[in-house]
This record gives sequence, C-alpha cells and structure tokens, in this order.
Amino acid sequence: MTGGDPDPAERELAALMRDYLAGRLEAFDALYAALAARLRAYLVSLCRDASVADDLLQETFMQMHRSRRTYQPGRPVSPWVFAIARHVFLMHQRGTARRVRFLQRLAAAMRADDAMRDDVRSIADVDAVRRALGAVPASQRRALLMHHVEGWSFAEIADRLGIRLNAAKTRAFRGMRRMREQLK
Amino acid sequence: MSAPQPLRDRIARDLAPARPLPPPAMRALALVPVAVAIVASVPALHEVRPDLPSIGAMRAFGFSIVQAMAGIAIVAAALRESVPGRQWRSRDVIALVAGGVLMAALLPGFAAGAFDVAPGPARVAVAVACFRTSALAALPALAASAVLSARAFVLRPAVAGALYGLGCGLIADAGLRLWCEFSAPSHVLVAHVGAVLVSMAFGVVVSTMIGRRATGTA
Repeated sequence: MTGGDPDPAERELAALMRDYLAGRLEAFDALYAALAARLRAYLVSLCRDASVADDLLQETFMQMHRSRRTYQPGRPVSPWVFAIARHVFLMHQRGTARRVRFLQRLAAAMRADDAMRDDVRSIADVDAVRRALGAVPASQRRALLMHHVEGWSFAEIADRLGIRLNAAKTRAFRGMRRMREQLK
Repeated sequence: MSAPQPLRDRIARDLAPARPLPPPAMRALALVPVAVAIVASVPALHEVRPDLPSIGAMRAFGFSIVQAMAGIAIVAAALRESVPGRQWRSRDVIALVAGGVLMAALLPGFAAGAFDVAPGPARVAVAVACFRTSALAALPALAASAVLSARAFVLRPAVAGALYGLGCGLIADAGLRLWCEFSAPSHVLVAHVGAVLVSMAFGVVVSTMIGRRATGTA
C-alpha cells in the first residue's frame, strides 16, 4: 500500500476526512453523500437484505465516527471505510448467529420443559383415570377394560364372562359412563 | 444521498476535533524504552552469559539488538494490522510469524558460533529457568503493545494479538540470550522458541478479550 493515491475522488474524500477530523459537520454530510450509495451496495451484497443493509449503513457511519482518529491523513479513505463496513457486517452476522443459537437453546429447553410437563400431566391423568376406574362397579369395570383396553369384542367378552352379548355391551357402556362422570 | 437526521444529530452531538493516531511505526517507537529495559534487565538480574569473552560483545549484544529491533518491527506490523483497511494479507502474516520464529530458533546458534552448546545434566532446570524468564520478561511489552493496539480499531484481534505477542516474545528472548549461552536445538526449541510461542498465544488471548469487550460480545 502506498501513501499517495492518484485517484481524484480519493483525494477529495481525503480532504473531506481532514475537515471531518477537524470537527466540521458539513464534511460529514459530504462524506455521507459520497460514500453511502457505494457502502449500501456493498452491504447489500454481503447481507442480501436491503433493510438490514440500511441499518448496517447507519452503524458503519457511527463506527466510522467513533474510530475516526484511526484514519491516517493522506491515505485513501475507501479501504478504511469499507474495512469498517465489513467489520460491522461481520459483527451483525455474529450477533445474528448468537441470537439464533440462543433461540435454538431456548426452544430446546422449552421442548424439554414441555416434555416434562407432558410427563407430569400424563402421570396426573393416569392417576385420575385410576381413581375414576376404582369408582366403577367391578362387573362393569371388567367389561370396560376387556373391551376398551384389552381389545376384546363384546361377543368374546360375553362368552368369556358367561353373560349375554347385550349384557356385555351394557356393562361396558355403563362403566364408561360412570368413569366419565368421575373424570368431570 | 443525505444522512438521516437521527444519525446526523448523533454525529453532531459528538463532533469534537479528533487528532489522528500517528502511523503504526511511530507508535511502535513508544515500545523502545520498554524493550531496552527488558533486554537490559535480564542480564542485570541474572548474569551476563559466561561465553561473552569468547564470542565477543558485538556478537552477543549485536544479535540481541537486531532481534529486539525485529520484535519492535513486528509490533509495528501488529499496530498496522489494528488500523481498518491496513490489514495484512494472510501470506504476509505467515511470513512475519515464520520469520520471527526462525529468528528465535537460529540466532542462539549464530550468537554462540555453534548449534550444539548444551546445558548438560541440568538441562531441564536450565530450560525451565530460560522459559520462565523469557515468558515473564515479555509481559511488560505485551501490556504496552495491547494498550497501543487497543487505541486503534482492531478488526482481527487474533491476528493483531499474535503479531504483537510474537514481537514481545522476540524482545524478551533478545534479553534472555544475553544471559543464556546454550544453542543446542532441544534447548532452543523448548525454552526459547517455546517461550516466544507462549507469548504469541498470550497476545492472541489478550487481544481477543479486549476485542470482545470493545464490541460488547464478551
């Protein structure tokens, strides 16, 4: 890298930077006017999002302002400004990646929490079902369990319990109704 | 395209004249007194190498002065790295690091006039003493370099830290060689180059920590 730059545009930018370092707001305005469009295009090419690029552009000018004393008078302004813009983009990207990681961790924690809550809920449900089942008369409970839990048909239940088909259906139905009432 | 009013207002609120930082090489000169103190303190606190009469003052002090200057030059390179838009290319960084490490590895042999001056049976104790002395001697230079680097705007803290760590390690090793006369490869690689590499690693850690604090990502 050399100290002098033959590019007239760079010379003009260097002169504006000198005035900016001297504390002239008009120099900042002129620098903004000269650099903003190029910087925005560069930032859009990096982040591929115009609205994010607009935010990063403002942040770039803020960073440029904070670190203006690191500009070395006489040197080209563009490499200095574009390096700051790239840094702002990288910081944004790191911040985004960190936020994504945080949200992923949060989501995983919430999922684990939900699973635990489901487990607790299912334990509570099982307990409630058990209590409700205990309140169902034994004959009805047996028919109910054979049909709804063990999967026997009413004909098989009737055959097995030595009762009529309708009686098997009635016992299972009444048992279920009783259980529902208990669970309400 | 004109600046949005909120941005303009924020800039206007804080638009005091700012004095630009001096060029990196000038800023690195601030390290010269620290380097002189380090190079002088090692033989002053221990003793001057016993083979000084045979190798001559020019060789003993000359190589140390050259190495200390190289260390300051590498710190200047780190300070240049700390300025936006003036970062070194990867191959330049590799060349600087390789050059610095090679210097620490080869100069003990050149200074002693041979590459086989070994510490004898107490080699572990000697190596530990050399390593500890070199690593500790680098700390003041590291602190000063970290401050100088942080005053700029470090975009690649690890690279800047590695470079100033290496430079400070070389400065400390330059002082160490005024005390240590051994040049056997096993001793040089473990005690001298090892201490330089530790200083380099320490520079990376310090610079990264400062960088994270500066960008609020700690």
